[in-house]
Amino acid sequence: MNVELTELTRRFGHTQAVAGVTLEAGPGVFGLLGPNGAGKTSLLRMMATVLPPTAGRLRLLGRDPGGFGPRREIRRRLGYLPQNLGYYPGFTVADFVEYFALLKDMPPRRVPRAVAAAIEHVGLGDRARAKLRTLSGGMLRRAGIAQAIVNEPELLLLDEPTAGLDPEQRVAFRALLREFGQRSTVIVSTHLVEDVGVACTEVALMDAGRLVFHGTPGELVTRGEGSGAAGDAPLERGYSAVLAAARSGAAARS
Amino acid sequence: MTAATDAPVRRPLAPAGGGVPLTAARLLRLELRHNTMPWLLPLIAALFWFDTYRPSAATPPYWVLRTFWNMGQGHTIIDFAPFVAGVAAWVGSRDGRRGTADLVTAAARPRWAVQLAAWAATAIWAVGGYLAFVGALFALYAHQGVRGQPPWWWVAVGAAAVLAFSAAGFAVGALYPSRFAAPLAAFGAMLAMLMSSQTGFTHTSGWAQILPTNSNGNFQADSGMLYPWLPDLPIVRIMFLAGIAVAALGLLGLPAAAGGPRLRLAAAVTVLAGLAAAGTAAGLAGTARLGPHGLVIPALHDAANDRPIAYTPDCAGGGFRVCLNPDYGSELAHVTAALAPVVREVAGLPGAPVRATQVAAKYSAGEGQGGQAMTISGHPPVLGMPLGALGIPGAFGWTDGETAGQLQLLLVHAFVGAGNGVGTPAQQAAQAALLQGAGLPFASQPNLLGSVGLPSWAPATGGPGPTTPVPATGPIYAAARRLAAMPAGPRHAWLAAHLAALRAGHVTLAQLP
Repeated sequence: MNVELTELTRRFGHTQAVAGVTLEAGPGVFGLLGPNGAGKTSLLRMMATVLPPTAGRLRLLGRDPGGFGPRREIRRRLGYLPQNLGYYPGFTVADFVEYFALLKDMPPRRVPRAVAAAIEHVGLGDRARAKLRTLSGGMLRRAGIAQAIVNEPELLLLDEPTAGLDPEQRVAFRALLREFGQRSTVIVSTHLVEDVGVACTEVALMDAGRLVFHGTPGELVTRGEGSGAAGDAPLERGYSAVLAAARSGAAARS
Repeated sequence: MTAATDAPVRRPLAPAGGGVPLTAARLLRLELRHNTMPWLLPLIAALFWFDTYRPSAATPPYWVLRTFWNMGQGHTIIDFAPFVAGVAAWVGSRDGRRGTADLVTAAARPRWAVQLAAWAATAIWAVGGYLAFVGALFALYAHQGVRGQPPWWWVAVGAAAVLAFSAAGFAVGALYPSRFAAPLAAFGAMLAMLMSSQTGFTHTSGWAQILPTNSNGNFQADSGMLYPWLPDLPIVRIMFLAGIAVAALGLLGLPAAAGGPRLRLAAAVTVLAGLAAAGTAAGLAGTARLGPHGLVIPALHDAANDRPIAYTPDCAGGGFRVCLNPDYGSELAHVTAALAPVVREVAGLPGAPVRATQVAAKYSAGEGQGGQAMTISGHPPVLGMPLGALGIPGAFGWTDGETAGQLQLLLVHAFVGAGNGVGTPAQQAAQAALLQGAGLPFASQPNLLGSVGLPSWAPATGGPGPTTPVPATGPIYAAARRLAAMPAGPRHAWLAAHLAALRAGHVTLAQLP
């Protein structure tokens, strides 16, 4: 398993952002769904080794990121697109991607080709020399995806990757996810259920820091059937049904 | 985005092995290309022109005089430091301001190494800019025929200061990332420079010598002309500034996110090493003592630097030859003409000099070199002139007339044996009379005395008087007027008969004719 989470918890003061999540994920595209504030971003930041867990056990790519050496090995094999992508406005797309390729300790001789490939992959080949400050929001997002995939990661963590992409780009992006999912573990945090339905082999749903569903998109659809839950599409109805069940269960427990 | 079917075949990456230097070089190249410092270099160049070059170019063409302004008073550093500290803080705070901290942290390369690359790019631009501007300045000086040897050690001190300000500013930005980090760092640098200068005005010795814009002890009168620039003080200042730079950069490696335990331990050791270097340098500066050619730090001093620079003098004059160091060659005619009236006045008297030669000025701490006397020694008697300690026309407001009067005064001062002090009342009266005879009227003498740092003769009654100019009155001038009023022959005869006693201090005012 590339991702093994056991009772993973993260608190910020009195707020419990992630509450005892246990999860395993191997190669494939794993969709992480949930409403705003469900804890998806905190969970992804922990998997990106940016945020240390408060409690629980985390193993990534067969290594414990608690130690410096293993953490560095994980980071070499990691691709990460944060929800709020920071960037250097004066850098060109190529410089930005090259910068992070070097920071990921890629063999330097392979960097130029990898940078060009990553930029082509996200469809920014004709804007490679454009400064980031001149790009639209969607193009910036694609530049962010390019830096995430430049090292051909074994674990790719994408937080709201389709935000700002136009429909055509989203279709292409889903194809990219499927391609990466053939040999890597791709975890996509999103609240756009159609992305999950098309691209993901597995899906998990979080609410209030807890994992309330883990299965295939088909199983999620099944949960919605006949439930009378709100939604225009089968996946949306499954999403709503699982959330409603989790919340009513939580209310009953409290 | 390209569809999956168009994608190139990807293979898992091998971890980085021996490519670390190449990676670091590529990171540095990227940082150099995107650094903010080059954008500010034109502004610094303008400031450098108006604050450093133009005022210095108004002084006579001697390296020592121009360097006193540029590097002694620290203008080259002051022009750079606030900008460098500000830009470094701006670059250091980049990840915090731009929200890229998560991305950088999630990368394999230790955060400290990434930050050092960004700092190195800033420092390379800043120090490169400093060296380029100083190089252009020196080229202009050379084109203008500036005399002496360039002060390379002091250039190195300036470069070290720029480096230290870049490191300190970067640390401020990296550790407290916000949009206010840059202006605060720039203001802090300016404040540090001003405080350094102010402290230098009041602390002319001891630890304060370590401060980069303390102008005391730096620029000796004949440095680079009659003797080498002493490297003692520059060495400890470089050590101090380098120590600050190393400590500031080490601080970046201390936070948990900076890297692994070994790297953080190395950072802690780096901080301690930097602080130790800076502290040691300050301690060494405290041991400095005043030598004839500047501040000597015993632990660092190389006696070879005390050896005078060999030269073949430039000489002029027929009967009375005046010989100067060739770097002072442009003053030769003026000095010869200035001495001539006094030489004529004392010619034929016992101990009258038959020629004059330049001697090295002895450095004295504090502002100005006032009060250094000429000497007459040897057989036949030779006048030794510490020209470097005297006012040179064009330097610090000195005029040709003032310089000439100063030379005449110091010649008669030496001739009557007044030594380094004001002399006895009789010696003072004899000097005044001789100067009057040489064409320097009594009325202008008190001002001249003040200008060379000697007390005025007017109120003297045996002890030193005030250095502020006063009217040429009083018992000394009364006696001087009597002596000057004598016909030349009898006066000459009296002086010939009584010079030995006068020089020994055995003649009183009442005994003057």
